[in-house]
This record gives sequence, C-alpha cells and structure tokens, in this order.
Amino acid sequence: MIEYDGIDNRMVLKLVYYGPALSGKTTNLLRLHDMVEQEGRGELTVLDTKDDRTIFFDLLPFFLTAPGGLKIKLKVFTVPGQVKHDATRKAVLQRADGVAFIADSQVSEETNNFESFRNLEDNLGFVGLDIEKIPLVVQFNKRDLGNIVAEDDIRRVWEQTGIPVFMSSAITGTGVMETFRELVKQTYDHIDRRYGLMEKHGLDKTAFVGKLTLPSP
Amino acid sequence: MKKEYIVGAEKSLGEIIKDIDLIPFFRSAVESGIPCVMLEDSRGDVLCHWGNPSGEGMITLRKPVYLEGEAAGYVVVRGDEPSRSRIEAAAELILNAVNTILRSSFKSVLATETHMAVVDQSYNELLETNRRLQLSEGRYRDLADTLEKQVHERTEELRQALATLLHQEKIASVGQLAAGVAHEINNPLGFIVSNLNTLNQYVSRFRDMLVLYRSAFENGEFTDENRALTRRKWGDYKLDFILPDAADLIRESLDGAERVRKIVADLKDFSHIDDGDRAGVDINREIDRTLNVLTHEIPGDAEIIRDYRPLPEFTCSPAHICQAFFNIILNALQTGKEGLKLIITTRYEKDFIRISFSDNGPGIPEEITNRIFEPFFTTKEVGKGTGMGLKVTYDIITSYGGTIEVKSVPGSGAAFGILLPVAKKENNVIREAV
Repeated sequence: MIEYDGIDNRMVLKLVYYGPALSGKTTNLLRLHDMVEQEGRGELTVLDTKDDRTIFFDLLPFFLTAPGGLKIKLKVFTVPGQVKHDATRKAVLQRADGVAFIADSQVSEETNNFESFRNLEDNLGFVGLDIEKIPLVVQFNKRDLGNIVAEDDIRRVWEQTGIPVFMSSAITGTGVMETFRELVKQTYDHIDRRYGLMEKHGLDKTAFVGKLTLPSP
Repeated sequence: MKKEYIVGAEKSLGEIIKDIDLIPFFRSAVESGIPCVMLEDSRGDVLCHWGNPSGEGMITLRKPVYLEGEAAGYVVVRGDEPSRSRIEAAAELILNAVNTILRSSFKSVLATETHMAVVDQSYNELLETNRRLQLSEGRYRDLADTLEKQVHERTEELRQALATLLHQEKIASVGQLAAGVAHEINNPLGFIVSNLNTLNQYVSRFRDMLVLYRSAFENGEFTDENRALTRRKWGDYKLDFILPDAADLIRESLDGAERVRKIVADLKDFSHIDDGDRAGVDINREIDRTLNVLTHEIPGDAEIIRDYRPLPEFTCSPAHICQAFFNIILNALQTGKEGLKLIITTRYEKDFIRISFSDNGPGIPEEITNRIFEPFFTTKEVGKGTGMGLKVTYDIITSYGGTIEVKSVPGSGAAFGILLPVAKKENNVIREAV
C-alpha cells in the first residue's frame, strides 16, 4: 500500500503488471483504459518510452469512494521487462498490493517467462513481500499467435501452484478484464482483512470490484 | 536528511508544477488584456498568479485541473463582466496550456523519482556489497596472517630439521674419517714406537760404553788392556753401525710425528672447530682443506687437478661448505676407478662463484640422475652409505641461494656444477692466488 491516511480518510493502493519484455503489459493497460468507464479512472500515463519499450513504467489510476466516505485510489503500474532494468522493477514493486504476471504464450518465450517469474519471486523477497501471500494472477497473453504453448500444458503446470491463470489476447482485449477483475478481487480480500473495508467503511467486494471494472458504455 | 522515494507516492499540485513554468505564460495572458490569471491547489492556496486579483466588480472563472484523474487544483481567471465571453475563451485556452505543462511536468517528476529510487537502492546495494567485501577481506587478511605464522613455524621446523640432518651427516662423516685417519696416524705411530724401542736398546749400549770408558780412564792411564777391552766392546756393540742408524731413527721419528701433527691440523681445519658460525672464506682453501683430510682415501694412482682461479670472499659457515665439498669429493674417490682423474675448477663470473668437480669415473646411470639429491637415496651397499651425503650438499648449497646440478655420461664420468651467488659488496676483494 502506497499510503493510508486515516485523517484525510484516504487510501492509495498499488497493483503491478510484471513479466518478461514485450509480453504485453502496456497493451493490457491500454485496453483496460479503453474498457473501463471514464468516471472511475484517470488517464494512462505512458512514461518515457523508447523504441516502443517501457523503460520506466506506465501508470493508470482508478478511483472509488466507499459508502463510509473512504476515498480509494488504485494505481496500476507496469514494469520494464528487460533484464537490465531490474533496479526499476524493484523500485516499482515496492509496497505493491497485488501483481499480475503477464507471460508470453509463444513457445520461444518459455525460458524468458520462467526467468522473469523467478525474478519476480526474488524481487518480491527483496522488497519484503511474500509471494505466498500477495494477491497474484497469471495471464498467458498472445493466444492469437501461432506456435504457442498449448493451454492444457499451461494449466497442468500452473494448477499445482493454486495461482489463477487466464488466457488472453491483449491486442484484441480478450482476457484483459478477466485478469484485472480476479486481481482486484484478491486485492479486496487482502486489504479487507487488515483494514476492514466492509466493517469500517461499508464497502463490500461486489461494490469494490464492480466500481473498478465498470465497463464504458 | 534522507528521503525515501516510493514509486506512486501521492503528489500535490505544488510539488509537480512550479510558478516559474507558468509565469511567462500567465504574463502573456495579462499583457493580452486578461486582468488576472491564477493557479490554486485543491486547498485554495495560490501557487502562481499574474495581474491584479482584487479588482472591484470582476467576475471569477474557476476551471478544475486534473492530476492522475483527480481535481488537484484550479485555474482561476478574473475579468470584467462585459467581456465574459472573451474571458471564458481565454480561461479555456489557459486551462489547456496548464494541463499540457502539468502532464509533461508530471512525467518528468515521476521519471526523476523512479530514477532517485533506483539510485538510492543501487547505492544501498553497493553499501551492502562493500560491507560484505570488507568482511571477506577481513577474513582473508586473518587467514593470510595465520598463514604467515604457519609458514614461519614450518620454516623454523625445516631449519631445525636441516640442522639436525647436517649434524648427523657430520657425525657419519666423522666416523668415516676416523677409520681413515686412524690408519694414517697408526702408520707413523707404529714406526715411531718401533724406532723408540730400538733407540732404547741403542741408548743402553751407549751407556755401557760410556761407563766402560770412564772406568778405563779413571786410573789416569789408558792401558793396553783397557784399549783392547774397549775396542772389543765397540765391536761387540756394533757401534759403527748403530751410531748413524740412531740419527736416522730420530729423523724418521720426527718425520712421523710431523705427519701426525699435520693430519690433526688438517682435521681441525676441516672441522672448523675454532671458527664462528659464519665467516668470509676462500673457497679454494676450503676445497684444499677438504682434500687434505681425504688424503688417505685418495688411491695411489689417482690424479687430482686443481684448476683454481682467485675468488672473492664467500660468507658462509666454513664447516658447512667443507661438508658440502667433502660429500662430492668422497663420492668421486670411492668410485673404484683405476687411474682416477678428478678435476676441480673454480671461477668467479658475474657475481657468481662457479665450482665444478668432474671425474672420469663410471658416471651416474641416467635413470637415477634426478634422484641423487633425494634423502636416503644411495647406491652403496647397505650400511656403507647413509643416502644423505648429496642431499646434505644440496641443502647447504641452496641455503646460500646457490644451485647444484649434475651432468653425467655413463661410463665416462660425472661432473657436479655449483653456483654460489656472492653478496654484492663494495669491498669485494679477489684474493690473490697464494
């Protein structure tokens, strides 16, 4: 959590889209930006890209106000996927409330996915977060391409971990909202346990998820 | 003070946009006829203003400025009611401009903060790396200290082992020497004793003869009877023969005693009993001393050729260096070769003393040339050699920083070459050959 201000009655949460280079993290945010009702979100800030690659991060903010008056701001970040930007990844990952791991479905990217996931585990440890506890979803993107790992194979591998897995094609929007919705659900549970979102602020999960994923007309 | 940068931390409008970014623009607006332009943050604090804010009867237009999708402040434009439409248009224009400036400032602030967070983190990682490196460097230093101590201990042990070895070898060669020297001394002693016995008999005859002469002359007159008596006695005692023989016996005995004296002197020279631990020595003389004590081992038909050149003083333990030469020379003498020829050469070249001992003996079989300096290696019969001789020579030579090598052609001899480095001294005087 970036910030919780009991006096101002304000909470700022952080979600991070992690994954190997060019797996479609920014595309996920672009699609989300288009899909979600304008009233509940801010503009997408795409920060200093070079050759179509994120070198800092992208930021998409969402807002909602709980019935009890608590203002919640949810900032969704992407990280740069290139190995050399590890320090930036660590910095962005600090105080994250949830992580979506965006994998590239192409057979040729299997090693990169694996390395990046291991890097996520290391870096979560580095910033003092527990991968067993933090809300986490996995998305296998680029299902629209040929020469991809079969869905059965992916599910067989990931089932054992208990981490929810989504198939997507971010470029067409398929699976983007499902991934986000699941991450937001988990994040609600995680925050509710510690801050009593329902108990103290009258905000239930359906309202929380509903507001953050309200589709644009 | 250290600031912690959290990517995504909330920012107020004032933290992102500075009046210096806006003033040129606000000024142009005022100059073009808008009475007052301001930027307020969400709490109503004025961040930047230009023109006169307190004009009477003016209208005020407030347009929200959005940051991360939230209203973070307001662009405030004031003007006269009659020109409202112009003011409205100007307010819209100014809002767009402020938003544009804000978006680009926002990006640059975020980029800067990420950069700072990364720098901070890298710095902390470097500190941690440095701390770990210092720790391990400390460990290695401790290890190095211990190692140095262990090396010192081992060196001391080795030094003592060498000293013991030298001592044992010395005793062994003393035993060997004793056998030869006993023979050398026994010979002259034997004939000295035999001569003295003979002289003893001669002296009793001289005494009898003298007594006879005295009694013959005591009466004052040398009678014919006495003359006959003394002549007979002279003849009986064979005094014509024993008088010159006695002189010979004495000369021979003195020679013998001199030989014994010389052997003892050589032994003393060789053992350097009276010398200190270290001294400047003339290597040529030490080789001679070694040859002297080995005289009895030199076969009669052997030829020793001393090809010496003047050498500078060499600082060493004289006893040790003699021991080193002794072991090499003795090996050559004991080859059993008839007509043995041992050539000893000494030279001084480029700060090194070069000594070579080459013989025409049977040489060293090729398969053992690289083993002869090993301890306990011997080709002699069990009990005859300690196997330590050349090992001791090797240790002595190397302890002075020297080298020793052997060249051998089986069947035609062996040559030992020794190089000893001479410490550089101003007063290195080459001794004149005696």
